[in-house]
Amino acid sequence: MTRDLLASVLETLVPPGEGFPESGALALDHVLAMADAPAEAGALLSQALEAIEEAARDGDVSEDLLRRVERSHPEAFDALVRHTYDGFYTHPATITRLGLEPGPVQPRGHRIESAPFPDLGRVAGRGPIFRRA
Amino acid sequence: MKAADERADVLVIGAGASGAAVAWKLAGAGISVVCLEQGDWVDARAYPHWQADWELHRSTDWSPEPNVRRLAQDYPVNDQASVISPLMYNAVGGSTIHWSAHFPRFRPSDFRVRSLDGVADDWPIDYATLEPYFDLNDQMMGVAGITGDPAYPPKSPRQTPPIPLDTLGLTIAGGFDRLGWHWWPSDSAILTRDYDGRRACVNCGPCDLGCPIGAKASTDITYWPKALASGARLVTRARVREITLGPDGLADGVVYYDGEGREHAQKARAVVLAANGIGTPRLLLNSRSTRFPEGLANHSGLVGRNLMFHPYAMARGVFDKPLGGHRGPIGCSIISQEFYETDLSRGFVRGYSFQVARGLSPIASANGGSVGDRVPWGREHRRAYAERFDRTITVAVIGEDLPEPENRVDLDPTLTDSNGIPAPRVSYRLSENSRRMLDHGLARAREVLQAAGAHDVAFNPLLRAGGWHLMGTARMGRDPATSVVDGEGRCHDVPNLYIVDGSVMVTSAGVNPTSTIQAVALHVADGMIRRRR
Repeated sequence: MTRDLLASVLETLVPPGEGFPESGALALDHVLAMADAPAEAGALLSQALEAIEEAARDGDVSEDLLRRVERSHPEAFDALVRHTYDGFYTHPATITRLGLEPGPVQPRGHRIESAPFPDLGRVAGRGPIFRRA
Repeated sequence: MKAADERADVLVIGAGASGAAVAWKLAGAGISVVCLEQGDWVDARAYPHWQADWELHRSTDWSPEPNVRRLAQDYPVNDQASVISPLMYNAVGGSTIHWSAHFPRFRPSDFRVRSLDGVADDWPIDYATLEPYFDLNDQMMGVAGITGDPAYPPKSPRQTPPIPLDTLGLTIAGGFDRLGWHWWPSDSAILTRDYDGRRACVNCGPCDLGCPIGAKASTDITYWPKALASGARLVTRARVREITLGPDGLADGVVYYDGEGREHAQKARAVVLAANGIGTPRLLLNSRSTRFPEGLANHSGLVGRNLMFHPYAMARGVFDKPLGGHRGPIGCSIISQEFYETDLSRGFVRGYSFQVARGLSPIASANGGSVGDRVPWGREHRRAYAERFDRTITVAVIGEDLPEPENRVDLDPTLTDSNGIPAPRVSYRLSENSRRMLDHGLARAREVLQAAGAHDVAFNPLLRAGGWHLMGTARMGRDPATSVVDGEGRCHDVPNLYIVDGSVMVTSAGVNPTSTIQAVALHVADGMIRRRR
């Protein structure tokens, strides 16, 4: 499958818009890497891409076309969607658009604003709720 | 075969939650301890948290499922006949490397299930016996929490204040309050202040991938440094094939393979099994002899039987406001034990807890998290994802799993690990009692989510990848005909062979078991020390 065709597939799965970047560019390298992986997931993914390529001989990729492939190759198509989401929702551009700080979570961690701890008096006031044995 | 230089007083198999506790306790009493661990130390720099693609590792090399992870130190588990997949980690620290550190204790009634409710069996020990060991273990692990929970007898002060609830926790706590139900901040083995030379948590989130700064307790950073300082010896990349017997019928050591596949013998005066509720029966069943043709210490026929997981059902509510769920320890927010004790009008015996975890990270949000309802692809994707991301709360129903002999671990007839040792096979089905319990829990979870403001609730009636807790496969009891070990962890059939992991648990309770497993291990170690004097 050509990179252009795969990019069209990915953008049909996760369409751009609302300030989100194009998934065709963001998830492409991850999906290609996974298709080359030796594990079962790689084989499944390759199977999905081959089925789409066969169905899209004229080069047009549409949602209807992908739904047909999803019906005919459900397990392989599931792998394609999963790896597309993996690639797209790991990319720094996507993370930034989600309002999070991209990059490793260590050492920075996250700041939690201090807030008054809720009153546990109501709960404790019920008295013991365990059985003595 | 190479023979080890020295005969140890005690040989411990497994360096996880219970093995570390036993090794520390025994070494501190001047007993020579050797521990064999099939995994290795985890380098703090190796955790995925230091990489931008950290979340991808959850489904690959840091998966909790050994059958997915497939690292050199893992062994395969045939779980085709089980509705729940067993999870574990093989390393110094064991599954405390990747646990979420939820740290409740069993309750007093959990040890008296037969007497109180007429099901399963009573334990030969009770809450009062374990209480000092709970406290000692809390000090060693470091627990964040707050005393006063009416679901428990009074506890000793927690080591650090509770983990902050943040927006997500406060929101769901409001739901419990509106219904008048019990809830409490979780006891968590995660530090909120510096303690015992360890750093406080920085709320990075994915504790299930390990903790690279040591704020979350894992026994490689809690018990092991102290055990080694007391003289314990830890051999990593050492996979035990079988426990051997002397002419007197007592355990006299093990045969194991090192990381290069070379065979060794290690002799000892006593052997302690701490290899988890699947690894321990596997090793006993692999240690056959003319004296024990059905597996070591298995005259009762119960080795491998009565496997208990905690069946988990999940409910997820969608809210109309951001909840900040990516901040803070992933598994620890609040717990509710409103429906913990038996009320037969509910249609089942025993009960369950609710656990409220933090929110879902970006990929998990797309794939539906533990509920598993993936965000649709295509034109609807953007809207559906935006509705969910950072706007969901997941309530887990963790049900007490009663022991049933048909739920079991045995040896697979063909599957082996990389050393050719027969692999375990797990057969497990969900009981009718558990199904009713989980269904009740899901209906109540819907109520609390809606009371907290959720406008859409989805369910997963049984979490397949939820076999964190492995229990019951070498149960404790007074009668050798109906149990494998006695109340001090000694095998009835082989009195210098001890078991201290989740295998010995008679019942599973409706909470995470690690705190109780470690308390039992410390209790067993104390008995060993006492008898040696």
